[in-house]
Amino acid sequence: MNRTDRTGRRAAPTVLAASLAAVLALGTLAGCGADDGSDNAGGDDKAPLEIWVRKPPGSPTEKTHQDLAAAFTKATGVEAKVTALFDDFETKLQQAAAQKDLPDLIVNDTAQLGTLVKQGLVREVGQSEVAGGDQLIPSSWEAARAADGKYYGVPFSAQTFALFVRKDWREKLGIAPPADWDQLDALATAFTTGDPDGNGKADTYGYVIPGTTKRGYMDWYFSSFLWSAGGEYFSGEGKSLKPAIDSPAAIAAARHLKDQFCADKSVVPGAVTAETTQAHPLFETGKGGIYLTGPYNMARFDKALGKDKYEVLPLPPGPGGKSAVLAEGENTYLMAGSKNPKGQLKYAEFLIGTEGQSAGMAGDTAGNVVRLPVNKSVKLSAVRQDARWQVFDEVYRESGRYSPVVKEWTPFRQASAEALNGMVADCGSDPGAVLGKLAASFAEELKKQGAGS
Amino acid sequence: MWRAIEMSFHEVRPYLGDRWVGTANYGQVVTDEAFLEAIGHTLVLAVGQTGGSVVLGLVLALLLEGTARRLWIVRTAVFLPTVTAMAVVAEVWRILYHPAADGAVNTLLGWLGAGPSQFLNSPDSALWSVMAVGVWRGAPYDMMIFLAALAGVDRTLYEAAAADGAGVRRRVWHVTLPALRPAFVILFTLAAIRSLRVFTEIFLLTNGGPNGSTEVLMTLIYKLGLERNELGVAAAGSMVLLAASVALTLAVRLSGARGKEVAR
Repeated sequence: MNRTDRTGRRAAPTVLAASLAAVLALGTLAGCGADDGSDNAGGDDKAPLEIWVRKPPGSPTEKTHQDLAAAFTKATGVEAKVTALFDDFETKLQQAAAQKDLPDLIVNDTAQLGTLVKQGLVREVGQSEVAGGDQLIPSSWEAARAADGKYYGVPFSAQTFALFVRKDWREKLGIAPPADWDQLDALATAFTTGDPDGNGKADTYGYVIPGTTKRGYMDWYFSSFLWSAGGEYFSGEGKSLKPAIDSPAAIAAARHLKDQFCADKSVVPGAVTAETTQAHPLFETGKGGIYLTGPYNMARFDKALGKDKYEVLPLPPGPGGKSAVLAEGENTYLMAGSKNPKGQLKYAEFLIGTEGQSAGMAGDTAGNVVRLPVNKSVKLSAVRQDARWQVFDEVYRESGRYSPVVKEWTPFRQASAEALNGMVADCGSDPGAVLGKLAASFAEELKKQGAGS
Repeated sequence: MWRAIEMSFHEVRPYLGDRWVGTANYGQVVTDEAFLEAIGHTLVLAVGQTGGSVVLGLVLALLLEGTARRLWIVRTAVFLPTVTAMAVVAEVWRILYHPAADGAVNTLLGWLGAGPSQFLNSPDSALWSVMAVGVWRGAPYDMMIFLAALAGVDRTLYEAAAADGAGVRRRVWHVTLPALRPAFVILFTLAAIRSLRVFTEIFLLTNGGPNGSTEVLMTLIYKLGLERNELGVAAAGSMVLLAASVALTLAVRLSGARGKEVAR
């Protein structure tokens, strides 16, 4: 906000300056010119590596990454410095790209792959050039494969989602763990109407949902339900992809979601503008009792809520009788313009090796950065005793599914999040019409990305 | 600046080389339904927040004018929202606006027999709820400007008006308000720009939702630029925003100048 002006006479130039500054700021974000995108193939093998990780600064997970970097330096003699950034990681990366000063490596979400590739911020990684790459779970490589069939990263960690359910509430109401969606909804309704915390007030709800459009959270949440209901984002493959988001199964999944908001009213109030940082406390403080989220929250919830208060259950199968849950994780991306391309690769290899993966799992502590190992020779149970991790491991192996492979997934996820957010925020909306419109925008985006007719 | 203009004609790819797209980015901006809606929301917010802040700020200033120590303490307390970080303000209002019957504001509404309102969580009420936060935060700032202006009003004019038998209302209308004209010009100019560039409160409170009901130009430009990575379109959007800012500033300045001439 412009609050520097004190006199009317000076207002116009200052205002102009402020407006120009705003535009210039955006200009800075986008960089100062074109580049040939070369990877500096020669390079300096001893040049220090700068690594950015998407972790909260000062967190136990940052510490684990620093320990990994120190171990790498000890083993190879190449200096490696870790910087942890969490809020607006992608924004800061864009700014670094604009200044042509990218870090050498980043460890970030698999879902960012398409965006990074499209902008030429990452370099291609030949699967065969990665020592130890053949030890990775084959499906994990899928997370590093772009729409052109090439690989632009090395998988580092896998994860999937499961239901965190208030066990104490469920047992108090005498309800069995849900085996299908109807039972799940019944449980959510009981949590909403049955006063499970026994305080005599109607202040508890079933589902905790981060339903904002920010970072596409709403779609991120919905995808598991879409697939489990037998719906798909697209049909076809490669260049002949077609939107399938308006299929009857997809509409049924959307209607099911909308009913939770509008008919059952079993979703925690405020969900449509909540992001994960606002949603987590709702589960911790006993506002909502069912939360589909990732294993990284166990350490947090154990501390804030208590390990005995909740349980981790797989998402029950949908109407189609199957369950497909969003699989995600993190890749190590080798960034463009590095002075030390060999060091980049070595670091990625170190992270997928037995030592890197085991140390990254950090036992049962909150410092885990490898949620589920991607290296098949590393046994989860050898490092972790907590049985709840096994639930995630099983879900990942049996029903884990990555986001569709398109040139760039972000615009689809964003469009879907906005459509779904609008649908649940307006109880008079028609899920069929909403998804029909979304399919049209999908078709347009596919065309733009050269993947649909 | 030049780079921003250049970007607005390109598909921006820092490491691969930009691709010339002509005026396609501008075409997308001016025809995109989301952009047009965002412009509408921006204008509604601009008018509502500016008007609300100025009226409330003036009322506060008139109530809290004076040199007594008690007034100084009250003024400081009233000014707090303006100096509090927006992130804190947003978090506090999210809690106050909790859209269930046990939410703070909803409890008050309940006593009055109304509500519970969804506030930020309904497309019908989100924009007004954000506007209320903006007014609440902007009014004390306007109040300070008015207080400074009020201090400069010639006291003898009040005395003369009183001697002529003018009541409080007529004194405010005929003496105070004309004396505050420069303050109004400053505030309207600042508010016009501030409102066009509204971002933080929307980003933190609703992120443009629900259902795009609070999407404004800056949040849309941010989304396009940094969430969808369409930096070219975002740059075109910011150029349009710049043009609007300049136009609005000039309009306010010109109308101010004309007002002065008329006054002379």
